Amino acid sequence: MYDNEYFVVDMASCTSTGEIINSLSLALETLNHSGKKIVLKLNESYLNQSQMLSIQSLITSYGCILDTVETINPDTARIAENMNIIVQKPIEKRVEENYDTPKTGEFEPFTLQSKKTDDIALKDVTGLHFEADLDAIQRQQNDININLDLKEAGVNPRSDFETIENQISNQYTKAEEIIPNVEEYSKIASPIEMMDFPEVQQEENKEFENAEKNSIGVYKKAYDENQLQDDEWEEVDFYETPTNDPVVSDTKNTTYINQTLRSGQILEADGNVVIIGDCHPGSEIRAVGDITVWGVLSGIAHAGCKGNINARVRALKMNAVQLRIGNCYSRRPDGTNIPYIIRSSIFTPEEARVIDGEIMLFKINQN
Amino acid sequence: MAGSVIVITSGKGGVGKTTTSANIGTALAHLGYKVVLIDTDIGLRNLDLLLGLENRIVYTIVDVVEERCKLKQALVKDKKNPNLCLLAAAQTRDKSAVDADQLKDICEKLKEDFDYVLVDCPAGIEQGFQNAVAGANEAIVVTTPEMSAIRDADRIIGLLESKEGVERYRLLVNRVRPKLIKSNDMMGVDDVVEILSCDLIGVIPEDTNIITSTNKGEPVVNDEKSLAGMAYINVAKRITGEDVPLLDIDEPITLIDKIKKFFAKKA
Repeated sequence: MYDNEYFVVDMASCTSTGEIINSLSLALETLNHSGKKIVLKLNESYLNQSQMLSIQSLITSYGCILDTVETINPDTARIAENMNIIVQKPIEKRVEENYDTPKTGEFEPFTLQSKKTDDIALKDVTGLHFEADLDAIQRQQNDININLDLKEAGVNPRSDFETIENQISNQYTKAEEIIPNVEEYSKIASPIEMMDFPEVQQEENKEFENAEKNSIGVYKKAYDENQLQDDEWEEVDFYETPTNDPVVSDTKNTTYINQTLRSGQILEADGNVVIIGDCHPGSEIRAVGDITVWGVLSGIAHAGCKGNINARVRALKMNAVQLRIGNCYSRRPDGTNIPYIIRSSIFTPEEARVIDGEIMLFKINQN
Repeated sequence: MAGSVIVITSGKGGVGKTTTSANIGTALAHLGYKVVLIDTDIGLRNLDLLLGLENRIVYTIVDVVEERCKLKQALVKDKKNPNLCLLAAAQTRDKSAVDADQLKDICEKLKEDFDYVLVDCPAGIEQGFQNAVAGANEAIVVTTPEMSAIRDADRIIGLLESKEGVERYRLLVNRVRPKLIKSNDMMGVDDVVEILSCDLIGVIPEDTNIITSTNKGEPVVNDEKSLAGMAYINVAKRITGEDVPLLDIDEPITLIDKIKKFFAKKA
């Protein structure tokens, strides 16, 4: 939504003004952005006028213009407006007000909150590219389920958001009269039958059938069976329980790194990670979302480290000592170590996914 | 019976502490003892590479200390020998992540389950060394027949003597080249022992197999033909209390040597 002349700085995670100024100056110093319009994402943090002025002067000193402030804090918004800065609400919040129909192939997360739920879902399905990956298909099906839920509840999905909300809450209050804790009951209730979309279904099955064929290598499980002694491993609760939430990766921020990761360096990210450069053995990447390495990945990569097993790891050359996705661990087979033994310039882009609890590698172009 | 904790140290870097640890550990495991190797070189770990266990490490000694996992979970079993285990160091932290008492605790716990606990010490005499030595009741000082290594070894022996727990220390002379000693270009093993006035546990000859074995991730002990491998097995036997004579490390006379000798006579 912002084009080239904008530079978006996400400060939503910063808690104090000092932190904002610190990371902002770091961001402006490391890359050359002179002449660009800065979009500052502040989310809910409150800034008074003098703080806002000092941030503005900092940005001006780097030759940029503070153009837009994204905030949900009304006080910050008012101050910014006084200073002739454009104020916008963050994307997630704007979705419910003005939902654009996503283009084919682009799947924006949407929930019950969005207006015209039915229209969007139907359009998506009819215009679906069948090369779209499994996740996308699953997401489609999730969306369809939402629609059916609504119909079942006697709600017309074409009516606007407020009406839907009211109707649903009515349904819940009615239900609560009959069943004391309706929330729990709804969890147990069997899922409503899926709408029949033969092509989609077939595609999905094919994907699973071909999984063995397409995968160019299964990473071995990190522990050999003979290494598993007694029931020692059962008590590992170091990581959070796995979730199966397919939209997690898409809604997260992306950290973009343009350097080689060397031994001993850890990169931790709240969202997705893109690295332009190699990751040497001994380095470690932990991301809540996906990991993409434009180079040789030889360290440890942990995608979906909060438990999302739908996260993925991609690299131009996959040589990771260990791959971890969600709570699945796998290690490189013994005796294969590309950078040290055969250092070739041929790249074989690969993607690691979890299929049936095992991490498998796929050539990226096969998808 | 509780096992013994042996620290392998040298002071100077690059004399072969890690190679020695990996090989003695493997040799002891071959002899049927239960062995655990602890890498205390946090931040610059290499022992896992030498054993070829790099890709199996999930938890490290730092995870154990910070109670993210149990001690048993962090032990990586060797590919070939189930008697051998490795407790790896963390690569992404530094020496201050662990302190001497914590390492001592770990050694005490491991002593109960294993016959030998070998601690691979980092170079230097700073915290890394202090940590590694903390739990040890025996030490092997590795040195090479070079003045710099000997001086550092002397310093280390001095420090070991002042440590309460260390009951015994022995010297291992590494990378010995008999040819150079013969031609008086290298200090002899006897000279080294005399300078350091210390018991000798073994003499390891320089061996090119070490380089290839390090790159392959397989200790040289597994190679029956290697002279260094045989020497390490003898060292392991001496650790167990067996009386083994010093290996004849004179390089075998090759065909080229014979030809050279032949022409030398003629001339």
